[in-house]
Amino acid sequence: MDAQYKVIDPVKFYRDHLAHKIRPDGRGLLKFRPAVINVDSIGTADGSAIVKIGNTTVVCGVKLELGVPKPEESNIGWLVPNVTLPPLCSPRFHPGPPSDEAQVASNMLAEILSNASVLDLRALCVVPERLAWAVYLDAVCLNHDGSILDACVVAAVAALRTVRLPRVEHDADKDITKVFPDERSSLPITGAPIPTTHAIFEDEVILVDPTSDEESLASGLVTITVQNDQMCSVYKPGGSPLADENMQACLSRARTRAIQMNNLIEAALAARDKEETKDQKLIS
Amino acid sequence: MHITVGDVVLPGDLIGEQDELKKVVYGPGLRVHQNQIYAVTSGIFKKKPDANYYYVDTFHQKRYVPVRSEDVLGVVTNKSGDIFKVDIGSSEQASLSYLAFEGATKKNRPDIQVGDLVFAKLVVASRDMEPELVCVDSYGKKGKLGPLPEGGFVFSCSLNLVRKILKKDYPLFNVLGKDISYEISVGMNGKVWVKAATIPQTIAVCNAILAAEHKTKDEIDEMSKQILKMLAYC
Amino acid sequence: MEDSAIFNVQEQWLRPLRCELNVLSRPDGSAMITQGSYFILCCYVNTFLYSYRVHIFFFKGNTAVVAAVYGPVDVKPQRILVDKASIETVYKPKSGLPNVADRMRETIIKNTCETALLSAIHPRTAVCIVLQEMQDSGGLLSCCINAACMALMDSGIAMKFLVAAVSCMISEDDIILDPSDKDLMGSKASLTFVFDSAKKNLVASHTSGVFSQEQYHESLLKCRQASCEIFEFYRSLVKKYIICI
Repeated sequence: MDAQYKVIDPVKFYRDHLAHKIRPDGRGLLKFRPAVINVDSIGTADGSAIVKIGNTTVVCGVKLELGVPKPEESNIGWLVPNVTLPPLCSPRFHPGPPSDEAQVASNMLAEILSNASVLDLRALCVVPERLAWAVYLDAVCLNHDGSILDACVVAAVAALRTVRLPRVEHDADKDITKVFPDERSSLPITGAPIPTTHAIFEDEVILVDPTSDEESLASGLVTITVQNDQMCSVYKPGGSPLADENMQACLSRARTRAIQMNNLIEAALAARDKEETKDQKLIS
Repeated sequence: MHITVGDVVLPGDLIGEQDELKKVVYGPGLRVHQNQIYAVTSGIFKKKPDANYYYVDTFHQKRYVPVRSEDVLGVVTNKSGDIFKVDIGSSEQASLSYLAFEGATKKNRPDIQVGDLVFAKLVVASRDMEPELVCVDSYGKKGKLGPLPEGGFVFSCSLNLVRKILKKDYPLFNVLGKDISYEISVGMNGKVWVKAATIPQTIAVCNAILAAEHKTKDEIDEMSKQILKMLAYC
Repeated sequence: MEDSAIFNVQEQWLRPLRCELNVLSRPDGSAMITQGSYFILCCYVNTFLYSYRVHIFFFKGNTAVVAAVYGPVDVKPQRILVDKASIETVYKPKSGLPNVADRMRETIIKNTCETALLSAIHPRTAVCIVLQEMQDSGGLLSCCINAACMALMDSGIAMKFLVAAVSCMISEDDIILDPSDKDLMGSKASLTFVFDSAKKNLVASHTSGVFSQEQYHESLLKCRQASCEIFEFYRSLVKKYIICI
């Protein structure tokens, strides 16, 4: 009965739920979905993280490559983020070139990482003018159930924290490069930007952490990214006009959420470190 | 009304509150939302002289949106089965049944080919349905409707120009008619068909109509004199 | 026909804004907006052994965008929406092919215009907005949104309200309205806000750089005031074009 009602008139279905201050999945209007982070699970990648916010699942893998820096920026490397939304994650996406949503998500991820200065690109330079690291960051969505940007950025930041750069020796005269894969040092990652997505429903109600159904019915979306209590990005691409008090409330909520997510990332990394020391003890 | 008749309005302007007691008709360009009346296009807020009918005279609109019972000029683009498909410049092509002509029966079809011009009336024009045209009135007589004769010239102009020149007291047609004899058909969709004795005369009439867009009533005389002077040289 | 205005919002200046409507004959509505084109006259007097040298610097900056609107027109079957008009936006940069950043501009402009239009009046049709960047000297996104809004208004499509976009930047402790690209080079953050004409609420927002919640709120208030000036400009523009109805 419920399922049929939802198909026939989805807007009324949601409106009736919101009148009782509850959403179809049982959450309150301002309740976040549970988040799970797992780092360093992909052995073949140089760094990885899997993030699950509710049903939204994003896997982020990092690959390192050496390259010659551009002449006009001879002392910096590259950070190349990319978001892929394959047909696997949602019936909305079809095989072929990246959809508009994927391109916008990639751009937002790149903007957020650069606004927050998460990685100083000068640290990627091995030998100025000759050798620098290129960090390819690929976020692949496995299940799109709303708030995709939240999951992608958290996965990207967690994956970057797990990346270990191998030591590189470059002989300038003979032009020989030696890479020592066993001697690794971690990347100097400063800060962790955390986005929070809100949905505006019928110009009045604000929902936090919308699912895919809620996003499609919403009349507007706002994504606010916070790092160290400062805003890195307030992205509202059109949608219902938002009054000032509501915007301020969203900003405050984003700040508290950022603290919670940061703790989660730290816990995941700590758990990974504990596993590593346990493995090392076993080996030795 | 907070905004008075004759004011320039922009989309989103609050005109006033809906008066429950009086019977008022809100025409094109106005929208009633939660008992408030808003303007939805930019233009001048006007009132019909002897009725409680308010509307916004949208300036500079080129794209026609079908409205019931308006007379439009269309080009036949397709003949399929029982209907003609006519392009009236709206988002969808209108359909014109071959029986909607004077004296047409199943055996006696009207002689209309693809590419012909028709002057027809819209009988069905809603946002949810395909527009439908007819070339007869409710008594079965064609009146001024139907296919247009051979020759002549069709051009497009903006919708408010068409509304302006079709007003009862607009002197343009009479002034031109004093010196040139011509046939004219004006569709509310911004299409105008003109036929005069010679080609220079046809073009003179067309240019006069287009130039009238930026002229007030008093300047029409002056403008027509200039155009007729130019014509004398041809 | 042209109109220009130099705005003064509490001693902070917006660059001169010029707009021309109906610049293109084929589309149903079109607008060209330029922001900028100011010059600074700097006199530098140097005395050395009783001689004077005067240097004069001329500085020009101009962001220009042309927007065209076709609509309501026929829509492709895969994009058809049964209850409202489908809005398509195409943004063409000055040179080269559109890249991901341009896609994001298209998304912001499309969603902003979708909010402003009464799309429920034209179901199963499409409204196509095409923007061409002519020149970029800072504040490109706000110029694009203003041009799109003007083009939509020119085409006569039913709109719920008009929108005005204002960009600002946060430098060390100052908030500067409508920065040019030279100003932006020394900025901590640059923000673009879009307001509606009905209640002056925030329709769209795009930021780059890092700033605090208080700075965001302050910039929002300042830009809202500037948007009131832009709405007045729209009104005076329409009054100028309407004389002959």
